[in-house]
Amino acid sequence: MTESSTPLSDTTDATGPGGPVLAYTTLRETARSRSLIDHIAASASLYAMLIPTFLLLALFCLVPFVIAIWRSFQEYEVGGTAKFVGLANYREYLFHDYTFLQSFGNMIFLTLFAVICVMIVPLIVAKLIFSLTSERASYIYRILFLIPIIVPNVAIFLIWRGVIYGDDGLLNLVSRALHLPLPAHGWFSTPSTVLWAIAFIGFPFAGGINILIYYAGLTSIPDSVHEAAELDGAIGLRKFFTIDVPMVMSQIKLLVMLTIIGGVQAFEGVYILTGGGPGFRSLVPGLWMYDNAFKFQRMGYACAIGVILFLLILALTIFNMRYFRSAEQLQGQTR
Amino acid sequence: MLGLWALWPPPEGKSQARLGSAPSTQPANVKYVIKFNPGPLYLPGVVPENSDKPIEGIAKVGKAFEALYPDTKIEFIGVPGDVREWLVTSLSSGEAPDVVQINVEDVWQDIQKHWYLPLDKYYDSPNPFAKPGAPGSVKWWDMFKYPIPTRGTMAPDGHMYCITLDMIETGIFYNKTLFKKLGLHEPKNWSEFIQIQKVIKEHGITPTVIDRQSLADWGVDLTFYQIYEPLRDLMDLNYDPKRGEYMHGYLDWDELIFLHDKGFFTPADPRWQEVWRILKEWRPYLSQDLNPIGTDFMQQFVTQKAAMLWGHSMMVSRLVNDPNLGFEWGLFYLPPITKEYSRFATGVDQCVIGGSAMQYTVTNHAWSDSPNDPDKSERLKRVIAFLQFLTTPENCDKVVNEQIALLPNIKGVEPHKELMKFDEILQRHYAMTKWFFTFDNQWDEVLMRELELFLNDGIDREDFVRVLEKDLERTTKRITERKDLDIDRFQKVWDERAKMRKQFSGLPNDGK
Repeated sequence: MTESSTPLSDTTDATGPGGPVLAYTTLRETARSRSLIDHIAASASLYAMLIPTFLLLALFCLVPFVIAIWRSFQEYEVGGTAKFVGLANYREYLFHDYTFLQSFGNMIFLTLFAVICVMIVPLIVAKLIFSLTSERASYIYRILFLIPIIVPNVAIFLIWRGVIYGDDGLLNLVSRALHLPLPAHGWFSTPSTVLWAIAFIGFPFAGGINILIYYAGLTSIPDSVHEAAELDGAIGLRKFFTIDVPMVMSQIKLLVMLTIIGGVQAFEGVYILTGGGPGFRSLVPGLWMYDNAFKFQRMGYACAIGVILFLLILALTIFNMRYFRSAEQLQGQTR
Repeated sequence: MLGLWALWPPPEGKSQARLGSAPSTQPANVKYVIKFNPGPLYLPGVVPENSDKPIEGIAKVGKAFEALYPDTKIEFIGVPGDVREWLVTSLSSGEAPDVVQINVEDVWQDIQKHWYLPLDKYYDSPNPFAKPGAPGSVKWWDMFKYPIPTRGTMAPDGHMYCITLDMIETGIFYNKTLFKKLGLHEPKNWSEFIQIQKVIKEHGITPTVIDRQSLADWGVDLTFYQIYEPLRDLMDLNYDPKRGEYMHGYLDWDELIFLHDKGFFTPADPRWQEVWRILKEWRPYLSQDLNPIGTDFMQQFVTQKAAMLWGHSMMVSRLVNDPNLGFEWGLFYLPPITKEYSRFATGVDQCVIGGSAMQYTVTNHAWSDSPNDPDKSERLKRVIAFLQFLTTPENCDKVVNEQIALLPNIKGVEPHKELMKFDEILQRHYAMTKWFFTFDNQWDEVLMRELELFLNDGIDREDFVRVLEKDLERTTKRITERKDLDIDRFQKVWDERAKMRKQFSGLPNDGK
């Protein structure tokens, strides 16, 4: 029995006629409280050092978060008066907002696409780098793949916009010059291609920190595992799928989670590339939240969208934590 | 070492020109630091396109004013990003500049919040900087060269919230050399305009470039005017004589809401359908991508990939100062739509869609020293004085004519000769309404996006009009609540016009 369950049983006993039991319980509680106070007193300077961080965290993260939840129940316009409307903002967004289904559909498509990419391409590249026999070459490749992260996202989006832009984009110019069968058209302005054009930003999806994360996972696999696998005849692709992939599951789980969170929250790419258009064909909920807050001045409504996105991320995180098994859990199963 | 090198200050004289003026390192006798946002065009330090000389005109005017008022310093500041989003947040926190350049339609959205100062009484008073006997010495208002378009900035509540230093207008820039080569001429009507574009397209050149916002703004309003102009007297339910003939027929949001209740601007309104048909028929002759993010339509024009550009007077300097421009350019205005092209059109001249350019609005920060009574604010007196000083002919000339972009709105100041064509356009009648900007911000967004989708074949006309209708329902409800409008007051006027309605065919709900 854990210590935390003891007081309940002691208290139950104390309701009985046995007075000494009650006295014993009180004594134990007092001793434990004293020990906690002593413990806090002994570490007071350490706790004091945490206070500024905690206060700033509360001020800039937790307080706005609570205010946002409160505002989501109000009809509130910046500079205007706030009116309590209960769940009206939620009802309007979930059942009456014509962008809801479209924008969630777009978000799911873009996020799923990103998740698939992040699960496959960087892992393959990390494995290729990991398999290099030359330590020097491995180092150079790691650096080369890392360099793109120094370019700001906005610049990347604008470069890609220049590449894919309708009339004079690089893609169309090359297509015309080489007489490729690829029809030259406005990839961002055509409703049927706009989401794919956005999804392919960053092709071939091999740059950045993701490779390093997978690489770190691969290097943490004990040599004994590799040796045992090889003795059992697991080499090449078989080894990759039966040993490497399960052993980097922690990294996959982390990256999938980060990608999902990023996918649900993201709107800057869509904002820069298409503004959510044509129509609402590439709109995502984050952009609609931004528009409502700052363009339409519907702060309460925007907060409701934000709370819905928060709940969605929370649910997905719990789902991921519960159903995606990490390497450690897998190792625990095999022991 | 690398970090130290990066942080080391640059040697004197090598630093870049500062945008705006230096922040307040004012002498001890300065009591009032007036923050003035002159708009991107006049911000000191900005280097205009195709020029190597930073803007300094308004900074000189500021210095001259400071010499007259030693207790005041004028600080010119820029606006980060979208002016409206920035302004709303800074106004609500009381940190906005004292004067800000913002489209007056954005001001109208928030007049009920008392963020902005009505300027009527100042307009009706003398400008102390006007020379005796000269315009402005009796009433400030008399100094303005284009009084009618200036009056166009009057808010629906009947007050003037801005000072207009200059005028802007749109026009179609065209490649004269190419036109000559293809045997084309400036179109006299819409059918000719379409025909010209057809010929240009057959030669593998994009006929016209325009971005989606301008199309949703100017394109819709001009087409709307052509189709609804015959109904002007019928639809203008609240004629305001103060606005004069120039804005006779202008529909404010309350009138639009009432008319919408009567079936106008709904799927049941054939004229509303006609507006979209005309724009759709124009679509094949516009650039493939209507969304200009990260692109430059002017570049397509100057590199002769596009034959025409629907732009505005601020673009002229870029053409005039381009040393590599390999063709002669000209300018015409959008031609009228005739009865042959549309059964609802009459071939009336196209209306003005531009008008006031830099619109200076006084914010609540200007009377922050006397928040409950602006009349007692010393700070506000200086703010108004600077605006009055700015509008003298010499100062307006220094600021507006420093570049070839806008037409001075002060009597006695002539525009650059390259802008005279816009002066002619400005003499026309004003648009019947401005669907974009004046109505509702969410509506603007829906109109712009859905119009782009409709024009790009992502939605058919029936669905498009249905989507607009759905959002108009929402918009009219929201505006009525936000502005506390009394729409029913128009019913009496509407009933009185029953006879007039019988003269017109194609009215929604048979004109009931």
